[in-house]
Amino acid sequence: MRGKMAEGVLSPGVNLEAFSQAIAAIQALRSSVTRVFDCLKDGMRNKETLEGREKSFVSCFQESLHSVSRDLSELERLSNLVGKPSENHPLHNSGLLSLDPVQDKTPLYSQLLQAYKWSNKLQYHAGLASGLLNQQSLKRSANQMGVSAKRRPKAQPTTLVLPPQYVDDVISRIDRMFPEMSIHLSRPNGTSAMLLVTLGKVLKVIVVMRSLFIDRTIVKGYNENVYTEDGKVDIWSKSNYQVFQKVTDHATTALLHYQLPQMPDVVVRSFMTWLRSYIKLFQAPCQRCGKFLQDGLPPTWRDFRTLEAFHDTCRQ
Amino acid sequence: MRLLNLFCCFLVFYDSVSQMPVAEGKSVQQTVEILTRKLELLGAEKQGTFCVDCETYHTAASTMGNQGQAGKLMYVMHNSEYPLSCFALFENGPCLIADANFDVLMVKLKGFFQNAKANKIESRGTRYQYCDFLVKVGTVTMGPSARGISVEVEYCPCVVANDCWNLLMEFMQSFMGSHTPGIPSMFGNKHDSIYSPGDTMAQYMELFNKIRKQQQVSVAGIR
Repeated sequence: MRGKMAEGVLSPGVNLEAFSQAIAAIQALRSSVTRVFDCLKDGMRNKETLEGREKSFVSCFQESLHSVSRDLSELERLSNLVGKPSENHPLHNSGLLSLDPVQDKTPLYSQLLQAYKWSNKLQYHAGLASGLLNQQSLKRSANQMGVSAKRRPKAQPTTLVLPPQYVDDVISRIDRMFPEMSIHLSRPNGTSAMLLVTLGKVLKVIVVMRSLFIDRTIVKGYNENVYTEDGKVDIWSKSNYQVFQKVTDHATTALLHYQLPQMPDVVVRSFMTWLRSYIKLFQAPCQRCGKFLQDGLPPTWRDFRTLEAFHDTCRQ
Repeated sequence: MRLLNLFCCFLVFYDSVSQMPVAEGKSVQQTVEILTRKLELLGAEKQGTFCVDCETYHTAASTMGNQGQAGKLMYVMHNSEYPLSCFALFENGPCLIADANFDVLMVKLKGFFQNAKANKIESRGTRYQYCDFLVKVGTVTMGPSARGISVEVEYCPCVVANDCWNLLMEFMQSFMGSHTPGIPSMFGNKHDSIYSPGDTMAQYMELFNKIRKQQQVSVAGIR
């Protein structure tokens, strides 16, 4: 009603001036009708003679009835001026929903409006968020996305597309690096490699890779089941033990920390070296407080540079 | 889930008569209550009850070939943590893990193994869970009398016995204070072997034997 349609010119047929006057006329009509009933309720005033009382009552009553009819005719005149809204709905198909009278059982139109407003807000917020996130580059791969084809240099090696044989070679070399760590590679779901790393008798790590980049890790206990019922590596279920859930969180932090877009095999090597420090998960005390337990957990954090053991709450 | 749940467990014998001053007159029940209250203060959650029992069988005299050969004692134990299993152990010998029908088999072997019914001993109590630790505090009873308290502490994520002893010690000190025991003797020679439920039952067997050998000193003082 506000804004665009202030003058009443844009939408033909709707005279806003007359509209507001008609609303005022309705209020006037209402008050005059109320006066009629008040007059009837009050009854005859106290006067000297019975005739006098009757006369004054009748005159009062007639007066109020006249005012009612006056107001009613005024209202009729104004309603003719207001006119009908145009036939073509500016809301198109969705406006037809608003014609449904049963508002309690099928509140479709109001829900539609809410959904539309919500999606608009979401789009706006997403735009703000992407602007903020783009300020800091979070890409671990060397691919430049969003750059037009003309500007992209021709001889850029895309480390995202590596032959599977190369990945296998890198992994098998890392497998031979540490005696207490064994890595088993499988590709049950397409070309991404899934590694099952067994560290001594302490833990098992499931690493999901995307060519040579580490995507996700899940750390589980040595005695826990890492296979689903079909015999495939289970990459979704969490460990049952709190200590390994904590180590999983730390491993995820580690895979985001070790980043070198041009040399992903160095990254995998560093990650595995870091992981290997967990062989003494239950034996090493915390370097800061000297104790073994903090809230029932052993020191689960391994420093990224020095590989020293700290409690999660003791690390800097 | 595998059938065998591997974990690390250490068993402690906490004797109210010997460790606590007699003048205070604390009974077995009260000591158990003190321990459980300390555990609850630490933040442990109660998770039901447990029961470990042990029956003794003598090898029957008729089966003895040599006169000088001493009769062997066999212990048949049950643990509520493994409700479908039955454990049979010799003193320093092997441990057999069988299913629950083993008891019926023992009845059929009456000619070879005789049940010493008076020697039946059991430990019953509550189970607590704190983070990845499982603590079971139980009262050891032989017949109608309470003989002592058993505390079993289990650190579930670790499967190698020797790895986490220090960790367990620290945890036990937090609620048992000065009564924390030393490393059990049976882990001296087993380095890096994976822990199995048979090891738990062997520890319980040692504990029950120790209690049986003790003199029944001032039963009235215990109550």
